[in-house]
This record gives sequence, structure tokens and C-alpha cells, in this order.
Amino acid sequence: MNSIEIKKLSLNFGEVVVLKDLDLSIKKGEFLVLLGASGCGKSTLLNCIAGLLDVTDGQIFINGQNVTWYEPAQRGIGMVFQSYALYPQMTVKGNLSFGLKNAGLPKEEIENRVKHASEILQIESLLDRKPAALSGGQRQRVAIGRALVRDVEVFLFDEPLSNLDAKLRTELRVEIKRLHQKLNNTMIYVTHDQIEAMTLADRIAVMRDGLIQQFDTPKKIYNNPVNKYVAGFIGSPSMNFLKGTILQDGKPIFKLEGGLDESPDLSNYKFQESIKAETQVWLGIRPETIVTGDEAKNMPVNFSLEVEVFEPMGADTLVWSQIGGQEFRFMVDGNSSVNVGDRVTVGFDPAHASIFDIDNEERL
Amino acid sequence: MLTKVQPERFFIGSVTLAFVSLILATVGIKSQLFQNIQYLILLFSSLSVIWIGFKAGKFIFITNRLRKQALGWLITATFSATLWLFAQKDIQSIFPVLKGYRKVLNTFESFALFATVVCILFALILFIVGSRDSKLDRPGFIERSLVNNLSSKIAALPMVFTAIGVFVIATLWTVYHSFTNSRMLPKSEFVGLGQYERLWSSDRWYLSIENLAIYGICSLIFSLFIGFMLAALLDQKTRFENTFRTIFLYPFALSFIVTGLVWQWILNPDYGVEKIVRSLGFDSFVFNPLYNADIVIYGILVAGLWQGTGFIMCLMLAGLRGIDQEIWKAARIDGIPMWKTYIQIVIPMMRPVFVTTLVIIAAGIIKVYDLVVAQTSGGPGLSSEVPAKYVYDYMFNAQNLGQGFAASTMMLVSVLIVLIPFAYLEFGRRKHG
Repeated sequence: MNSIEIKKLSLNFGEVVVLKDLDLSIKKGEFLVLLGASGCGKSTLLNCIAGLLDVTDGQIFINGQNVTWYEPAQRGIGMVFQSYALYPQMTVKGNLSFGLKNAGLPKEEIENRVKHASEILQIESLLDRKPAALSGGQRQRVAIGRALVRDVEVFLFDEPLSNLDAKLRTELRVEIKRLHQKLNNTMIYVTHDQIEAMTLADRIAVMRDGLIQQFDTPKKIYNNPVNKYVAGFIGSPSMNFLKGTILQDGKPIFKLEGGLDESPDLSNYKFQESIKAETQVWLGIRPETIVTGDEAKNMPVNFSLEVEVFEPMGADTLVWSQIGGQEFRFMVDGNSSVNVGDRVTVGFDPAHASIFDIDNEERL
Repeated sequence: MLTKVQPERFFIGSVTLAFVSLILATVGIKSQLFQNIQYLILLFSSLSVIWIGFKAGKFIFITNRLRKQALGWLITATFSATLWLFAQKDIQSIFPVLKGYRKVLNTFESFALFATVVCILFALILFIVGSRDSKLDRPGFIERSLVNNLSSKIAALPMVFTAIGVFVIATLWTVYHSFTNSRMLPKSEFVGLGQYERLWSSDRWYLSIENLAIYGICSLIFSLFIGFMLAALLDQKTRFENTFRTIFLYPFALSFIVTGLVWQWILNPDYGVEKIVRSLGFDSFVFNPLYNADIVIYGILVAGLWQGTGFIMCLMLAGLRGIDQEIWKAARIDGIPMWKTYIQIVIPMMRPVFVTTLVIIAAGIIKVYDLVVAQTSGGPGLSSEVPAKYVYDYMFNAQNLGQGFAASTMMLVSVLIVLIPFAYLEFGRRKHG
């Protein structure tokens, strides 16, 4: 059964079309991440689901019920905001119980729910403090608690970790994942951080200009991006794109623009459909899948490059270089010694590459 | 055992004290003691100069690291000394051209002499401090007060003098003279609490206070309430918000005199509302608040609200805009109705804005004067008198300064009674919190 179903959703702000004919269905207990650059409509979509924005057209179903014109409070959702949005003059306990009191719940019930939520989130010792006396991580925990006490099926997170520093972000990320495993609620999580998306999601919806580009599991999105935008957005460091032409010579070969002595053989690559000769393409290859040294020589494709810049990152070192005038990045082991000007042999297997049409940027 | 800090503090302290007594002597406290005591105090500070010099044990010039500053003070001393000399009769008889400026020079004579002495003392002590501390790293108290960041201190001086002159000295002067029987001109003939006794036995004063209380309470409540309501309505993503805001704020651009005149005409039975309604056929309609002693203050109140509410609305609107939009979203998700969100969440968050607004409204209430003058001149009879008008009338029309001063002192006292606990609650708490 689908927990949330969105049918033909459209939203315009005056003349500006933000969301257009958007369909999305989310299974019960699924963790969905809406991922995209700022301004892509992901937060708008979340606000529509929450009922904070009135939709122009289309329907939203939550647990099989058409809630398109319901008030936010009636939709059975809890929401966590980027700026925490705690009520500053109330204590943590007040923040957790304010909505419940307002809904007219009996006192014991409120007590129980606050107690339960604060146990799960480990904020029992903070209950009498005001938000101003809490750290960012604690505040966000209280904000999650406020969604938790509502005892709802669906949780909505609007970039909840963006205001935290890097270390806290990773800590809370794991906590949110634990929370999901424990509660097994449906969660929709909006972020622009692809690492958050990859680590948390059961499925990711990559959005761009109000349209969902790809809606799939993190693994599929990482390995088989449907277009160049998704390929470039997911993965850090981002994918190398090499411009060139595919020639058919019994087998498909890739002719790099700007020249390379030998043209790589692409017969390992699984094309979606048969490909015409002389198609102009982008060859996308992730820096992590590129190997160096002796290993590279065994790869179907290999060539040697000159190191231009290198960035040690601890476990790995990211090396920037050029091939035929096009930028090319690859990873080497963090302990190997790299110097500017060194020549390195690199190689990769075209099976791990992604090839996109140069005109419509779709995967081939 | 005295360290070097104590004589240095003693020096700065006594110079300040001398300055204060000089000011007191100039503003008209004519006792012989105050005339010369500042020089006695300066004598004490020169003792501390000698003390510090004695401890320094040497006096160097070439390598003195404060010599530029000390020379600067010496040059200033020379200027003031010249000014003082020009004010002397013997010098003036040698240079007759100075006689034309005699009045100005005589006014500054005592200041010039005082400044000369103080600047020489500053120069001396800087020489000594610079000699003694030549090998020390840490600047002493004197150096920190007189040398470090001197330009900013000089830049702040005019404002310091203005603030002290207006707020402290003028206030003290007024309070002092409220105990005298000054008539047209201030004089130091004490009558004890006589002026206050007369004040508190005057019906006109009681009436003024009563009017101010009615005007004050009503204007506080209504302008806050109406201002907030207008701001909350404008905050609902209203179309043409800018236009509405301009319209509401427009009355604030008018002076109280113009506002008063406009409302005098509107409320006038011969031209205003009453005339219009009567011409519609309601011949017995009566609406003339400005001519009815019982309700005249409400007629003034309406004009005051019309003028001030728009500004309060703007302040409130700015406060509302400062509230994070996500708070509103969170409240909607929690299912809290809008009015409750305003009362329980938004208004408590706007506390600083309310404090500012309250201060502005309160100041406007206390000083209400021109509105009354323009609308009713205190009439009919005395029924719309206010304290500020009482003060003005006694000081400049009845030529009874003492009575006017007593009334204004009472206004000051009542403001302080309200303000001090409030300020203590608002600002004192923050230190602990």
C-alpha cells in the first residue's frame, strides 16, 4: 500500500511554474529523499505535501485519503524545519506538548507521549530548558521530538541538518536513520546534500526545475544515472565527462575530442539500445572507478596522464589532470606519493562508465 | 603600601571632581566654597603628581615615550593660558582691540584658567609616567586614560559634554531652582517646598494630571491594540501593502499643530461631523466633543491616535517581519489557530519591539502639549489642561519660573518612578540571564 500518492500535482506562483504534472508514490515505511540544487522545487513539493502551500492542480493522497484541501494539522504529518522553528519562550516540554494541549488531548496522554519521545531522542534532561539554552544539535532533536509526539504516519524533513556543523551533521544523520529503523514510519526528507541522500534514502528522487529526473534506489542512481545532470549531481568528487564521438568498427569505439593515441573499445558497455555511428556523446566516468599503476594496464581502457594538481584527503588523494584538453580527475591511494608533473597510468572498465547523448543529455 | 595604581587613580579622580565643581560653580551655585574649591582639589592632584614623580626618581626627556603627548598637552595649556591672559584687564588695556571681545572672553575666563592648570598637570604627569615606565611593557592607568586611543576620546567629547550639559546639569539646575521663588528670572532665594505646596493645592494641576492619566492610558492601550491589529492584517500578504502602509503612516508626517487644527475642524459643530449629519436631515444630532468639558480629552485622544497609530503599526509590522516564517509553518502543522499563534507565540517573540514601542508611546504621552494648544488651548475653561501646558504657561506666560520648575520636577519624578523599576526589570535581568 502506498503511504503517499501524488497525482498530476502542479503549482504556479502567478506566471511562474514551479511544479508541473508531478507524479510520485511512496510506499509505507519508505525513506524518500528529495534531492536537488536550490530552487529546483523540492522544498515546494514538501510544503505542498504538508499543506503549507495551496496546490494549483492535482491531488495528494496520504494513507489512501485525499488530503489535497485538508489543513496541515489534519493530514497526519509531522514536520521538522531547517531553522528548527521552536517556540522560543516555551521550555522544551512546552514545545513538545503545545500542539497536543491545543488538540485537547488528556493530560496523562500528553505526559506519556512527551516522555516516550524524549526517551527515544535522549532529551529527558533538557525538558525544562528553553531553546536558547540548547545547542544546535539539541534543538534539532527537540524539533524532531515535536514531530514525534504527534504520533503520525508520515514525517517530513525540510533540510533539517543544513544549519549544523559538519561533525554534528554526520552524527544526527545516523540518528535519523536509527529513528527510521525503530519507528518504520514513512519519511520524506528534503536536502541538497547528496551524501545525506545516499546514506539515508531507500529511494531518491532527483529533482530539477520542478521535474523529477530520476526516482530510484541510491545504488541505481549512483551506478546508472539516467542523464548527465543526475550523473554530475550524485557522487563526490563529481563524475568526469569526456566529450567525443562513438564510431562503429564492428564494435563501438570512443574517439575522444582533442585526440588520444588509441581509441578505447566500448564493447563492455551495455547500451540501452543500438547506437548509430558517429554519435556525439559525453563519456562519464567516476573518479572512484579509475585505477592506476599496474592494475590500470590490465583494464580495457588505459592511458597515461600528467599530474597537474593534487588534493590529499586522508584516505585518498584526488588528482586533477587533463586528457586531450579536457579536465580529468581520479583517485589514488592516500599513502602513495604523488607530485606535480608526474606521469601516471590510469585505466577503467567501460562497463562502469555512463554514456550520454550530447544533445539531450540522456543516457545511451 | 601604595602601588603606582592608587596615586594614578587618585590623580584622575581628583581632576574629574575638580571639573564637576567648576561646572557647579558656573551654573549658578554662587557659594564662595564652590568658587574656589576646584583649585583646592587640583592642588591634591598635583600632590599625586609629586608622589608619582618621587617614585619615578628620574626625569628623562629625549627617550621619553610619551613626550609627544605631553608636548601636545603643553601646547593646549599655552592656548588656554593665552585665552585667560586676554581676559585680564591689564592685558586688555595694552591691546585695546581685545576690548571689543571683552564679553566673550570674560565668559570663558574661569574655564580657560582651569583648562590651563589641568593641561599643565596632564603634561607633567605624562612626562613622569613616560620616564618611570620607560622599560615597562604594560601601560599604567594614566597612560590608558590619557594616551591610548586618544582620538576616539576626543571625538566623543562634544557628545559627552552635550549629554552631561542637557541631561544632568540642566536637570539639576531646574530641580535646584524649583526650591526658589524665582519669578521672571532665576534667583537663589529659597522658599523650601513652597512651590510644591502651591502646586499640589492647585485645581488646575490636578485637572492636568487627571487629563494626562486618561489620555495616557487610553492612548497606550488603543495605539498598541490598533497598531498591532493593522500590522497583523497587513502581514497577511495583503495586496497593495505598500500603498496601505503609506496611507496609514501619512498622519505621522504631519505635526501635532496641523493634526490638532484638522481635528478641531472635523469635530467643530459648525463645519464638521455635526454639520454634515444635520444636513442629512438629522436636525437634533449633537456631536461636539471639543465643547463639552466632560469628554473634551477624548476629542484630543482621537486626534492623537489618528496621528500616532500608523507609526506604531510600522514598528509592529517590522517586528512581525522579523518572525521566522517557519515558526508559522510549525504552528500550522501543530494545528494551532492563528489568533492563538499570535497571542501565545508571536507576541512573546516580539517583546523587544513592544518595549521600544512602549517607550516611544510613553514619551509621546508625557510631552503632549501642541495637540492641546492647537485643538482647544486647554479649554473649555481648564478642562483639557495637561502638565506640559501647565509648565509652559507658568514659565513663560505667568512669569513664575519657580512654579513651572516645580511642576516639571514633578513630571520628572513621576517618569522616574515608572521608568526605574521598568528599566531594572528589562535591562538588569539580562545580566543574570
